[in-house]
Amino acid sequence: MILVSACSTKEQAEPELLFAPPANFPKPIYDMTKNPITQDGFALGKALFYDPILSRDGTISCGECHRQDFGFTHHGHDISHGIDNLKGIRNSLALQNLAWQPDFFWDGGVGDLDFVPIAPIENPVEMDEKTGNVLEKLRKTTTYPTMFKKAFGTDDITSQRFLKALSQFMLSLVSANSRYDKYVRNEGVSLTTDELAGMNLFKQKCSSCHAGELFSDNSFRNNGLTIQGEKDEGRFRITENVADKYKFKVPSLRNISATKPYMHDGRFFSLDAVLDHYAGGVQNTPNLDEKLKENPQLGIPLSAQEKQQIIAFLQTLTDEEFLTNKRFSEN
Amino acid sequence: MKNNNKFLIIALFIGAWNTIVSCEKEDIIDANDKNTVAIEFDNRVGAQKLALGTTTYKNSSNEEFTVTKFNYFISNISLKKDDGTVVKFPNDYFLVRQEDTKSLLATLKDVPAGNYKELSFIVGVDSTRSVSDVSLRTGVLDPTSYGDDGMYWSWNSGYIFMKLEGVSSVVPAGPSGIKAFQIHVGGYGGKTAVAPNNIRTITLPIATTATVRKNIAPELHLIVDVAKVFDGANKIQLATTNSIHNPAAAKPVADNYTQMFLVDHVHNEKE
Repeated sequence: MILVSACSTKEQAEPELLFAPPANFPKPIYDMTKNPITQDGFALGKALFYDPILSRDGTISCGECHRQDFGFTHHGHDISHGIDNLKGIRNSLALQNLAWQPDFFWDGGVGDLDFVPIAPIENPVEMDEKTGNVLEKLRKTTTYPTMFKKAFGTDDITSQRFLKALSQFMLSLVSANSRYDKYVRNEGVSLTTDELAGMNLFKQKCSSCHAGELFSDNSFRNNGLTIQGEKDEGRFRITENVADKYKFKVPSLRNISATKPYMHDGRFFSLDAVLDHYAGGVQNTPNLDEKLKENPQLGIPLSAQEKQQIIAFLQTLTDEEFLTNKRFSEN
Repeated sequence: MKNNNKFLIIALFIGAWNTIVSCEKEDIIDANDKNTVAIEFDNRVGAQKLALGTTTYKNSSNEEFTVTKFNYFISNISLKKDDGTVVKFPNDYFLVRQEDTKSLLATLKDVPAGNYKELSFIVGVDSTRSVSDVSLRTGVLDPTSYGDDGMYWSWNSGYIFMKLEGVSSVVPAGPSGIKAFQIHVGGYGGKTAVAPNNIRTITLPIATTATVRKNIAPELHLIVDVAKVFDGANKIQLATTNSIHNPAAAKPVADNYTQMFLVDHVHNEKE
């Protein structure tokens, strides 16, 4: 008998770009050196992201309210329903380009991505679980100890590793390959006349708040929404400064076509409704942003054609590669 | 001459004896000597021992209440010697929980020998640690370690510095019919924007000096008076103030509890 061992070919290790800051983006805010992304860390983070074991009764995963094809927001829901069909009060935010955000949630209540998962896990209307209990459950599985060992060297499942693994996955969700991006980076994409007109209008009328390549200046502002429903006081909840009442984070507009509905409570179900609000629906509520008081009528003057052109431009911010990349998809 | 010699011998003997005896009595503080200092947290309500659950107490507003939870973080401890030198313990974070007897004794290790006259600490977690990397959130700072007795706000990143919970007939009944009060004090001042700061530094004299020596590990016995939470610079009445979960509302409580600590006595027993 002859034992033949298969020739082991040394694989050409193609350095897989696990986190590539786009050329047209500023420097990331998250300190990548404290949590370098590895293939195994990413895989573990992704597994956890899509695993409903994070919830008390095993029904809700992060992916439930953050679905890739909707820009990692909830499909068409103004507010999300979590465990036991309980409802929250705010619209699910897009998980994209998180390395460039200084704080998280509509009110900026969490200032470090590593601590974000604890909030939905422990929120009684989302996953209603204790993070410590999640770790206990993971330790008892046949799969996770091995995944932790691959990612971190030993099979100890600690809170630090759990949170960092989730961050590694979330940090990887970089969206910078929309038609707009390829246009500004001169990668052979041209925009239509309307889209270009929309881009110019956007620069004039919208980019003071929805600034730069991330389309947000990361500030908290009151954009004149009618105070209704929950009467959510937004940023005030965190700073307890009355000047912050009714202010919410300026969200990025990337992938906006996929992430409806819009605003902190998801009250606008189309971009038309959003622009109608800015053009003629702005209310003079406490702490209304100064930028919406610059014209005879509150808000931003927009003709019907201008609205359509801006919408055409906003649609160029859709990054199909990001929305369909299998690397980010549930296995 | 013989008497003089006798006296001389006696004098020499006494002199020698004094030298020997004073060598034994002489208290040398060797800077290289170290020992532990233990701090015992004796939680009380006024003149009564704190017992969780069924024991009824009265606050200064004559409101009857029981206590089901009394937890607080102690950190950034420092000890000041009689010569003014301050020894700091920046990496020691303690979570005192009345229901966990072991947590009622905090131990500081490698305290340099000396005579200590003053104790200082923060009630809570300092702002630097509050925004530090997750790798530094270990032990009592691990946000996932508290089980159902949460000491961390996930929605407004930060620790709960002091938690006082209980039941009182003056509190309106909650959804389950229980007249419970929950006072949670937090707020380290904010990370990217200014927010209320309820970090409080407590400085206490140590009347009987704590003498750390090679063979002496002092124990400081602190009395912590829950009654002072309700009465101090501010009068807190449970009928109107029974649910505090945000920093601004907690400020009067934090101001009050700066007065709830006292170094009652010190055990300087030789090992």
